[in-house]
Amino acid sequence: MVSSLPSQVNSLTPRQILRIIARLDIKGANLIKGIHLEGLRVVGDPQVHAEKYYNDGADEIIYMDTVASLYGRNNLLDVVTRATEHVFVPMTVGGGIRSVEDARALLRAGADKVAINTAAVKDPSLITKISDVWGSSTIVLSIEAKQTSPGKWEAYTDNGRERTGLDVVQWAERGAQLGAGEIFLTSVDQEGTKNGFDCQLVSAVTKLVDIPVVASGGFGKLDHLKELMQVSKPTGVAIADSLHYKKFNFNEIRAFCVSNNIATRQRSADEKISQ
Amino acid sequence: MSLFPKSRTIDLKNFEPSETPLTAKYGLPEKVSFCQRCVTSNQKPISAIEFQHTSGSIKQAIHIDDENICDACRVAEKKSLIDWDARDAELRELCDRHRSNDGSYDCLVPGSGGKDSFVAAHMLKYKYGMHPLTVTWAPHVYTEWGWRNFQRWIHAGFDNYLCTPNGRVHRLLTRLAVENLFHPFQAFILGQKSLAPKMAVLHQIPLVFYGENEAEYGNPIGDADSAKRSWKYFSAPEKSSIHLGGTSIKDLTTDFGLEDVDLDPYLPANPAGLEKLGIEVHYLGYYVKWHPQSCYYYSVEHGGFEASPERTPGTYSKYNSIDDRIDDFHYYTTFIKYGIGRATYDAAQEIRSGDINRDEGVALVQRFDGEYPTRFSDEIFAYLSIPEKEFPQASKMFEQPIMDLNYFNNLADSFRSPHLWSYNKGQWSLRYQVK
Repeated sequence: MVSSLPSQVNSLTPRQILRIIARLDIKGANLIKGIHLEGLRVVGDPQVHAEKYYNDGADEIIYMDTVASLYGRNNLLDVVTRATEHVFVPMTVGGGIRSVEDARALLRAGADKVAINTAAVKDPSLITKISDVWGSSTIVLSIEAKQTSPGKWEAYTDNGRERTGLDVVQWAERGAQLGAGEIFLTSVDQEGTKNGFDCQLVSAVTKLVDIPVVASGGFGKLDHLKELMQVSKPTGVAIADSLHYKKFNFNEIRAFCVSNNIATRQRSADEKISQ
Repeated sequence: MSLFPKSRTIDLKNFEPSETPLTAKYGLPEKVSFCQRCVTSNQKPISAIEFQHTSGSIKQAIHIDDENICDACRVAEKKSLIDWDARDAELRELCDRHRSNDGSYDCLVPGSGGKDSFVAAHMLKYKYGMHPLTVTWAPHVYTEWGWRNFQRWIHAGFDNYLCTPNGRVHRLLTRLAVENLFHPFQAFILGQKSLAPKMAVLHQIPLVFYGENEAEYGNPIGDADSAKRSWKYFSAPEKSSIHLGGTSIKDLTTDFGLEDVDLDPYLPANPAGLEKLGIEVHYLGYYVKWHPQSCYYYSVEHGGFEASPERTPGTYSKYNSIDDRIDDFHYYTTFIKYGIGRATYDAAQEIRSGDINRDEGVALVQRFDGEYPTRFSDEIFAYLSIPEKEFPQASKMFEQPIMDLNYFNNLADSFRSPHLWSYNKGQWSLRYQVK
């Protein structure tokens, strides 16, 4: 699918265009949402939401079975298989991927990228193994970051429950060296709070890491995007709560970006009709 | 009284794999069974009167019925039949009867500033137009986030009295409760239960509100039918029957160097004073559909409540009972005594609330239950130590006043019941696990 871009962003590289990503946290058959990745509430059917976000203009969908590691299971295959029939933007899938075989199954089912966190912490070479088979553009290192002191963040696993002792910035750099093509960076402190992104965190990572970085956790009002873009250079933002609870839609978000000189992909009218 | 020994002899023969019936400690049922709806077992004791708790006490455990469903799940089931609008009207009527218009407090809300007490006080004030006074019995040792949440509660618009007991007395009573009952949380429970009625008398506020009813967690179903809390839980007619840390008042004063004034915060309120005041204790959980997870959301939204920065050892949760550093050990000891750890309590509650399903609960219990709580252990062992310098008389009652890991583990083994535990090649394992 070709997206038409307004003239002022035609000269930009894809890395300079902010991707607006719908984040869907999945547990079992349900779309869920928590606060600080805790108190997981059932929101509804992930398929219904994914289709809506696609139709409304999401650049990408990310499915996270954030509790897969917690429960020691992996059951996103069904969700992904269902989604491929109706959702035609890139899909990233994370949660419970422990091996190259797990990644293969999800990519075959229709995922464009796989995101790993817990398994990468346990065995960083898994990043390289997946990258070697399908290329770095398929492997996303997912990091759950929690601030430990000003300017310092620790990486967590198991949906923000287990400490790893890893410094987030160093871990992100190492992930890039090992072959990750993207960092999906969730702030546990901001997640679900609607209080804004952890801009310092995103900035610390984007300053040092040369691969795309997606900022997740904290979006609650449009100004939060401006605050984020003023201090850091993420290539995407993930939004969950505000979409699930219909606080904002993609048109409003894009319109805000346009009026604040934040380059995003613009969908043309005929593209929607042609679906 | 005799000395607490440095080491207790564990007869490992009792813990061999066996087909013959095995003795059950604490009067627990010899045959272990699990609720088929949640993950709790029939070994879970129901709330008892703590100041009568001694090493010889017989526990009454949660009832699991013929259909293998526990009382707590039956209570949850009955909730769906409740007419909450009618209950709301009852609450409004109750509030109307008590609401003050002369600048005085009209109700008392005891709590820690955790999610449940946050919701209780906040709803009463902002939804029902009451003028609550909040009172808090301090945890043994605050966690940083627990302290911050407590402050957020106050700053959400409440006056608060914080009662912090004498640290030395609290440590000694806690050590005794660990030695006699393997129950490091007891001193907290004792003080917490008696503080509210005493403060009610002191401030002449007859109406006391708690959040949830204990029947939610398996106390006899009859308890839940009346919102008024039974007297027996917090008043004692005679001082001579009272034990703290499983030790009689007489022994505490003659052998452990405590004075009457040291014990006062732990003793139940005088029933005469309560009767004169006409105290009424109510549970908001009777009037309002109480959902712990929603309480978390509510307190984040209205007070900036923060979850714990990591999961609590022994479980997966971050929002529940997170303000006391000794809490990790509390649930570790229930795991040793009853085979029921923190993950079982948390998962059972979340299953009943519809937040997770039973398969998920079972997976969480198998993964986390009984995990040894390393994170605050050094601090807690120091807390439980009774050095001579600080405790000149009491320290003489312990062959080893200083608590350390070996001491604690030996003590733990002495509280294991043969019907629950087997010992094989240096490893303890439960004979039964939830499936």
